[in-house]
Amino acid sequence: MQREAYWRGVRELLPAAPGIFAWGLVTGVAMVKSGLSIEYALIMTFLAYAGSAQLAALPLLVTVAPLWVVALTAIAVNLRFVVYSAAMLPHLRHLPPAARTGLGYLIGDIGFARFSALLDREPDYPHRVAYFAGGASCNWVLWQVSSVVGILAATAIPVEWGLALAGTLVLIPLLIPFCRDRPALAGVCVASVIAVVGHDWPLRLGLVAGILAGMLTALALERLLEREAAR
Amino acid sequence: MIGSGASDAYLWIAIVLITLSALLTRAGLLLWGTGLKFRPVVQSALRYAPACALAAILVPDLLFVDQHLVLTPENPRLIAGLVSCLIFAFFRSMIGSLIGGMAVYWVVSYAFLG
Repeated sequence: MQREAYWRGVRELLPAAPGIFAWGLVTGVAMVKSGLSIEYALIMTFLAYAGSAQLAALPLLVTVAPLWVVALTAIAVNLRFVVYSAAMLPHLRHLPPAARTGLGYLIGDIGFARFSALLDREPDYPHRVAYFAGGASCNWVLWQVSSVVGILAATAIPVEWGLALAGTLVLIPLLIPFCRDRPALAGVCVASVIAVVGHDWPLRLGLVAGILAGMLTALALERLLEREAAR
Repeated sequence: MIGSGASDAYLWIAIVLITLSALLTRAGLLLWGTGLKFRPVVQSALRYAPACALAAILVPDLLFVDQHLVLTPENPRLIAGLVSCLIFAFFRSMIGSLIGGMAVYWVVSYAFLG
């Protein structure tokens, strides 16, 4: 049954594969085009497994910025993962530390979205951890393969074709099923507006500000609607 | 070019720091926060995390072209995003919405730039 759930996780992530692949490809190309040697680009991809943090760090590495700035930037860009891991904590709490570390390392935007969508439809699905492990490890493989291709074939890949957009568009079908009630819709609107307004804030803090503001808005509206219904 | 100024030691330490940052933000709470029991209000808020996070990543990506906010039909990314939304709303096909969106993006970019 665990095995079945693992493969279900893989299967339900696969429709997003072209988007993940395109995004990995573009990140690989960007690392080499910024001047990082092929060796360091490969090491960074395999160790960090954090696309947006890698991209955010590149201009810092080019200018040999202080290392604490590099670390601070990577943490800030990854702050949304703290929110994701908080949402996953109740489901992973019972596992041994090594498993929690490994699954945490595999947390990403798409894997987390698939896992949350599963729990939305089937809140009591017993093999949810295996399901997450399946989707998230599939995401890891797709990402690494595409990044390596991007790094090795950097000069041959035409980024001006807008391949990165595929990585963005793939988020649309992941987002729409979550917009099922008014609180979620309000949260999505506020998160979008704040993220747009904060687009040029330092350390991509507009992103995490948008997420938190959206969550608070959704929560407030949910409570308000509940209170009205109770009256 | 990186490599002209950055030493090997600098690059190695930087990569290790980026890795640790990624690990700390993703696994830190899972490792050291297992004793935490979130109050119901926090749990309710966390249920909206995926929707808000996806929107906060997606929407600026569609609205900004070369760091400029473009809200007119001349923004091919915006058009592609809207078409993707429509295709998914009507056909519930993830692959279809991606292919349709990219096709429209290429047609619109070509029409305006080509």
